[in-house]
Amino acid sequence: MVPSIYCILFAGVFYACSTLAQDIPLNRVLIKDEGWEKVVGGMKFCDACCSDRLGNFYFSDAKGGDTVMKVTPSGEVSDYINGVPGISGMQFGPGGKLYACQGRSRRIVALSPGKIPELIVAEIRPNDLVVTKDGHLYFTETSTRRVYHLDLNKAGKRLRIVASDIAKPNGIALTTDGGTLLVSDHMDKEVWVFRIEKDGSLGHRAPYACLRLRSKNHPSKGDGIEVDDQGCFYVASDLGLQMFDPTGRISGVILSPQPGKPLVSVVFSGKRLEYLYIANGDAVFRRKIQSKGVLHW
Amino acid sequence: MKIRNLLSLLGMLSMVCNAADDYQIGPDSHRKEAVPVGEVTKHRFIESKIYPGTERDYWIYVPAQYDGSKPASLMVFQDGQWYQNIRGHSRVPIVFDNLIHSGEIPLTIGLFINPGVIPAAKEGAKPRRNRSFEYDTLSDQYARFLLEDMMPILKREYNITDDPEGRAICGISSGGICAWTVAWQRPDAFRKVISYVGSFTNIRGGHHYPALIRKTEHKPIRVFLQDGENDLDNLHGSWPLGNRQMAAALKFSGYDFKFVMGDGGHNGKHGGAIFPDMLRWLWRDYPKK
Repeated sequence: MVPSIYCILFAGVFYACSTLAQDIPLNRVLIKDEGWEKVVGGMKFCDACCSDRLGNFYFSDAKGGDTVMKVTPSGEVSDYINGVPGISGMQFGPGGKLYACQGRSRRIVALSPGKIPELIVAEIRPNDLVVTKDGHLYFTETSTRRVYHLDLNKAGKRLRIVASDIAKPNGIALTTDGGTLLVSDHMDKEVWVFRIEKDGSLGHRAPYACLRLRSKNHPSKGDGIEVDDQGCFYVASDLGLQMFDPTGRISGVILSPQPGKPLVSVVFSGKRLEYLYIANGDAVFRRKIQSKGVLHW
Repeated sequence: MKIRNLLSLLGMLSMVCNAADDYQIGPDSHRKEAVPVGEVTKHRFIESKIYPGTERDYWIYVPAQYDGSKPASLMVFQDGQWYQNIRGHSRVPIVFDNLIHSGEIPLTIGLFINPGVIPAAKEGAKPRRNRSFEYDTLSDQYARFLLEDMMPILKREYNITDDPEGRAICGISSGGICAWTVAWQRPDAFRKVISYVGSFTNIRGGHHYPALIRKTEHKPIRVFLQDGENDLDNLHGSWPLGNRQMAAALKFSGYDFKFVMGDGGHNGKHGGAIFPDMLRWLWRDYPKK
């Protein structure tokens, strides 16, 4: 009798603890005395952060020039690909292809050094994209308030509208396990979640997380999203990099190094994906944190 | 000598262990002879209109005395699995049996609901856990879930009162603030609240309630708040301070409330130990004689 009561008490405490695993303060993620370090400066408008499998970091100067730049983990900067202006979102997908949104050119392309960009889809105005490991591409089209889906495995690559009526859909990311899609809103405070269905469509939309705003009715400027290996997610925004636990509770705001300049993109990179890289106006910064990134392909 | 030392050490240890959070359930939480035993049945709900895609278990307790001839009261529990467990912190079915039999609480049907989960569609992916979204959000969504999704199911089978004074709601932690939110949003449907270690902190804005209560016309809600000095203090806030702020605001705005601050932590031990007394206080004048 007595032992069984204790078992139940312990079970109750254990259950409480397992729900408390959601309570992740910033000091469990940030490293003391480890701040932002500038990686590249002197750009016009950095955007489209992404990483390859080896921990090389890539970004674009979306409003200056037409080059995708590469930064090795040790900090060597080089031009990766030229002749692709205005990239606002970029990610490696299955087969190591680099997919890129060119809003002003109204297309998504796949890039390889020394090759002409491969046209994936045209006649759209993509903002940001994400590719699943089984070859489903999702992108936001801010002007039409939509999210599109494209099955890269299918010939003809038919476009589907899979979400609509988001004020200004912008950043887009997958959860750690690839089962849920996250979409940030540049206008409103909501970060929307969707279940990814077997056929690639989206279901069961919910305003799972809410961004903190500078003041009431001020746009959130929710932008790029990145997810860590614990399922926490980080959303670039007006106030800084907002971190949420896996159940959508805000853990806190990580301040950006240049608060007066737009923070638009974020990704884990570095040899063990142990650095957060951000595009913050005219520069790219990185910061080592306790969490690590995940690769989706 | 050595053994004596060991014994005294053990004695001191047990004193230390017993100093805080040493709450025990009383006789009302144990089965009593000749008290009729109500029935608890388990169900699964997968057709939510308010939280589309969610699935969850729920349990219904029906008192042995219930025959449908007159409307029963209703009490809803968040994290239903813990509350319906007759070896859990609160042992609600046993307490209900005892207090309904003694006439200290009205004939009450219990509805114990787990938080929703949205199963993943993709193989190997994790389900979306909806507990924080459902319980911590300051909106009428959970109240609508109860009224539009769950009540029709109950009402198909049982004769349940429409009198909001006959409807209570109870929960622990985020389930505690959720209970308050339901009554705050829909006092036309629920007017009796019990909160164990309620999360009146900034998980999703719950720290605003004291200010809202002070600057909103009094609502006809009766609420029992339980918390402990050793409750959480984390990124969301301080639970003891949050509950004190709630109690002060409820007092300021003239609410019928009771606040008990023990020395426990973030668990259901203290709440479970005083659960029968909380029920007596909550239902003390219902139904009106």
